[in-house]
Amino acid sequence: MTSEILAEIPGTIAEVSVREGQMVEAGQQILALESMKMIIPVLAGSAGKVVRLPRSLGTHVQEGDSLATFTTVTH
Amino acid sequence: MVDTTSGQTTVASSRRPEQAGTQNTEPLTEEDTASIWLNSFLDKGTVSPLHPPGSSGIRTARGCLGDTDVVVYCTVPELKGGALGHEGCDRIVDAIGIAARSGCPVIGIWHSGGARLDEGIEALDGVGRVFTAMTHASGRIPQISIVLGPAAGGAAYGPALTDLVITAPEARVFVTGPDVITAVTGERVDQNTLGGPDAHSERSGVVHIAATSQADAFHRARRLIDILATPRRPFALPSPTGNDLSRLLPTDSRRAYDVKPLVEGILDHESFEEIQGRWAPNIVVGLGRLAGRSLGVIANNPLRKGGCIDARAAEKAARFVRMCDAFGVPLLVLADVPGYLPGTGQEWDGVVRRGAKLLHAFAESVVPRITLVLRRSYGGAYLAMNAAALGATAVFAWPGAEIEVMGAGAAVRILHRRRIEAVPVPERPALEVKLAKQHELRSTGTRHALELGVVDRVIDPHETRYILAREFAAAPSGRGSHNNIPL
Repeated sequence: MTSEILAEIPGTIAEVSVREGQMVEAGQQILALESMKMIIPVLAGSAGKVVRLPRSLGTHVQEGDSLATFTTVTH
Repeated sequence: MVDTTSGQTTVASSRRPEQAGTQNTEPLTEEDTASIWLNSFLDKGTVSPLHPPGSSGIRTARGCLGDTDVVVYCTVPELKGGALGHEGCDRIVDAIGIAARSGCPVIGIWHSGGARLDEGIEALDGVGRVFTAMTHASGRIPQISIVLGPAAGGAAYGPALTDLVITAPEARVFVTGPDVITAVTGERVDQNTLGGPDAHSERSGVVHIAATSQADAFHRARRLIDILATPRRPFALPSPTGNDLSRLLPTDSRRAYDVKPLVEGILDHESFEEIQGRWAPNIVVGLGRLAGRSLGVIANNPLRKGGCIDARAAEKAARFVRMCDAFGVPLLVLADVPGYLPGTGQEWDGVVRRGAKLLHAFAESVVPRITLVLRRSYGGAYLAMNAAALGATAVFAWPGAEIEVMGAGAAVRILHRRRIEAVPVPERPALEVKLAKQHELRSTGTRHALELGVVDRVIDPHETRYILAREFAAAPSGRGSHNNIPL
């Protein structure tokens, strides 16, 4: 199943912690947003493979913008 | 027909409750589903019916949950899909009245398609009287709803008028169902997408706890009632040299973190029951115990939206503060807040109107309420997190906390705008940094707040549990005299 992580808040991509194609665990940091003068980690909600990371470091995003697309792994 | 192997009560296929929307009458056995639910929810041997069984479609009983006497009413799924008729509504009104006069919690167990169509306006009138009874009991006794199946139309607003709504995975709560929606608007949606636990725990905020099963729903209701109805349990005062809770904070003060482990670290082991955890998750609210005493906790969660206050978060916290105040439950406020979320979306979503609810809720509440500033508390959001000016019983801060109108960088850009604009553009960032450092020396931290008396003292993270427990024990108890309108 494919799922997507959307930005909860407007901000700037401050860290990109994974690569496209990488397997991630639930709770693993995908990237971090700088917003409200804070660095806010964006975590994987479940285990899966990162299919797409549409935003690069320094990009400004709006609330609701896609930050990552995954295929989720069900055990 | 009870499946005991799974620990859950399930209805056998030959007596399966009808789907919402069909209202055929079936003969009712002594052991209808409602009676099975009542017997599995209440303590064994304590169930005492308030009304004789019959065709009203409602079962009512008194019983016990541990030390607490409670009243329960329950719809009967086999009778017209649990639909509400005037006679059944009279029973609910009666049950709520008995609970209110006895001062004990009342719990509704719901599986209902709404008002009985064959009774027409008489059924609607009955449903309206239920709403009135719930409203009159609001704030006087805790009212909890457990939704185990459909709760449509009037049966949706019943739970919504109560203090806390718990759903089983089969719950489907909506005013108008998928068929009507398609007929009126052309939109196609299934019952679960429209009004299932995910919809109401993430999108609408109607549901306070989405349980994982019917048994879990009953268990969670018991936990909440225990905290609301038994304000003190025997418990030793925590040690003055407890765990260093500040190790749960990141070393970089700009980095966000999940506040929930910290809430759990302050409260007694496994006592925290979060409410509306998936809705407005940038503020965490829930009930728990500290040194055996019931507490409501309100905490900014930096991991979600930086922990900022937005319109939804303010409204969520406001309702929770009013509920706790109505039932005399003291409040612990953990502040780590960068401010209100800016933007047209927020302003037009009513961050002013909905944010005012939180200020109102704190300012009117008379229960002991203590604020602990963990890392930062800025501007208007500082006030909204139970500041001294709103009548906090005490305000503490951890070492290094910053309490001010805004961050130093933003402050100097306003205070020294002309001076900054007077230098060439390339030199401005360096000047801003220099001015911000000077500003920090003067204004940040807790020094100014301590001088003004808006922070009582800086406390060591090791002694946090001890000091909070001692302060709550010393504070005179109070209970607000108001209802709990579902804000």
